[in-house]
Amino acid sequence: MKIDAPHPAVEFHDLTVSYDKKPVLWNIDMTLPKGALIGIVGPNGAGKSTLIKAAMGLLPLGSGYVRIFDQPLDEVRQRVSYVPQRETVDWDFPTSVLDVVLMGRYGKLGLFRRPRKADKALAMECLRKVGMEAFVKRQISQLSGGQQQRVFLARALAQEADLYFMDEPFAGVDAATETAILGVLKELTAAGKTVIVVHNDLQSAAEFFDWIILLNMRLVAVGPISQVFTSDLLQEAYGGKLTVLAEISELIKKRSVPSREKY
Amino acid sequence: MEQLKTFFSFADPNIVSVVVGAVLLTASSAVVGTFTFLKKKALVGDAVAHAVLPGICLAFMLAGNKNPLVLIIGAFVTGWLSLVVMDFITERSKIKEDTAIALVLSVSFGIGILLLTNIQHSGNAAQTGLESFLFGKAAALVGQDLVVFSIVAIILIVLVAFFFKELKLIAFDENFAKAIGLPVKGINLLLTSLTVLAVVTGIQAVGVVLMAAMLITPAAAARFWTNDVLIMTLLAAFLGAFAGLSGAFISYTAPSMPTGPWIVMIISIIALISFFFAPKRGIIFRSYEQARLQQTILQENVLKELYRLGEIDDDMFRARSTEELVARRHFPKGRLKTTLRRLCQQGYLSQDDGLWQLTNEGQQKGKRTVKLHRLWELYLSKYMRIEPDHVHEDAETIEHVITPEIEAELERIMDFPDRDPHDSKIPY
Repeated sequence: MKIDAPHPAVEFHDLTVSYDKKPVLWNIDMTLPKGALIGIVGPNGAGKSTLIKAAMGLLPLGSGYVRIFDQPLDEVRQRVSYVPQRETVDWDFPTSVLDVVLMGRYGKLGLFRRPRKADKALAMECLRKVGMEAFVKRQISQLSGGQQQRVFLARALAQEADLYFMDEPFAGVDAATETAILGVLKELTAAGKTVIVVHNDLQSAAEFFDWIILLNMRLVAVGPISQVFTSDLLQEAYGGKLTVLAEISELIKKRSVPSREKY
Repeated sequence: MEQLKTFFSFADPNIVSVVVGAVLLTASSAVVGTFTFLKKKALVGDAVAHAVLPGICLAFMLAGNKNPLVLIIGAFVTGWLSLVVMDFITERSKIKEDTAIALVLSVSFGIGILLLTNIQHSGNAAQTGLESFLFGKAAALVGQDLVVFSIVAIILIVLVAFFFKELKLIAFDENFAKAIGLPVKGINLLLTSLTVLAVVTGIQAVGVVLMAAMLITPAAAARFWTNDVLIMTLLAAFLGAFAGLSGAFISYTAPSMPTGPWIVMIISIIALISFFFAPKRGIIFRSYEQARLQQTILQENVLKELYRLGEIDDDMFRARSTEELVARRHFPKGRLKTTLRRLCQQGYLSQDDGLWQLTNEGQQKGKRTVKLHRLWELYLSKYMRIEPDHVHEDAETIEHVITPEIEAELERIMDFPDRDPHDSKIPY
């Protein structure tokens, strides 16, 4: 099942990605609509995080390309925001909540320029949107998991982007944070922005998203939730692990075969 | 004492230059080292420091003199080479990073010593003093050397100041930095070059062997005192400079002493003091906090037991003996006495004739702990499906941890229940 979006926000064209020489995504080919809240769903090791990292240019592509707003990523970087997984950074780093949110402004500021008053005001506004304005001066080491996630979201908002990639923003957060984050995401999409979220919980996925990408090393299905969230397709994504695909990946890694032939 | 006076009167222009040199060198390596530390690359710095030695020796052999610029270039080349080799080994072979670092460090230092011994036996008169690169000699830093090394040190500090915002972001969240389009590769390359340069200049004062300490220790010490990267960097620079200054003084008063070990010893003492005495992060503060927590738990337990005795007799404010308390549960004897006395001082208990009686406030506090205990027991058995006879132990700990917010949340989701799983009344 593959539903195409006219005038897509993101286009993946025949994308193959390897992680540590092992192919984890095969021939992903799809288009994603503007202004939608899109969930990437699939079992562990399906390549969900890999997909958005590849889209953000953080991983080398084995083949294919990604176009955002019909342009290469480098042309539109200022319009794209990325929220990494919370655990990927050291929260004992000596810095404050405000400082982290201000990092969202660095892309627009460019080298050498320091954040100005307007940037700080915007950062404050973003913190307010995620309900963290009382924590501006707090050291990030003193935040709870949910608060850390909200700070990351505020940093992304500070980028004032049109497209957001988020890696498991709902993982391990409290109920209040979940509601707060979902509220912000809905607001973004209502304003015409596109939000693409890696998500691990099937039950809430059904409630949260407009569009669903079902992934398991390959694209199982993509489209509006009503058409994609069927028991057959879910069964295919979660149950039908293609063991041959996994074995081939292992072989490629062991023998260092390039994923596309080169002479 | 007399020497201290002469030294710090700065009457001798030689002293001034030695001091300026030592302070600049140590401060600049501390500034660069702050980011090496934050990026958790301390060992890499050590390897680079050792790999610099063969470069210095080779440069000397080729040039035949100790021109500081030539030596810097030689050191820079092998320092960089060591980084490339470490990366190559980690990426292209099955050898892991720590092994690669150890390999590069020992092999290049071995080659360096080999070359140095060779030079020393070659009979070249210009070589005297080359061995001070091993353990450093701040007092030898005069004339042309001083000018060159000071300029490099200043360049280091200025570059870090220029790229401060980017260095901070990359140290915290490299993927995000890449995602917003910062030239991460370029800035990492810059930081690496700065590290190599810091090592190259720093070894004048501290020597190859101990250079890593000068790079990392000031930052590690500063980390204990602050939670802000900028303050941490400035503090590291200050601590490094202080150690450098002391080293210069020792080098001046006792020229036969190697400066490096002294500087490193002083900065290590500062680091140790920070480790123990810093507020919040220091060990002493943390054990004090731990002891205070223990004390609070003991106090809450005493009030709780008095409250429960009151429940049994239906008389909250009856005066009770220590024996009655100990019969309810085990309390460490000596600490029970001091705890009871302290509770009296704080107004939770009153004492009369060796008997203890709850005050109104004490009764409230005891009631809250009992309530939290029973709420948690109920929560465990109801929501986590734990058998009622297994919930008590857990609740014993958790009752002291629950915050007012969680308390309200528990009351809300269970709708102010009456009875715990053991059918005891939950008091509100």
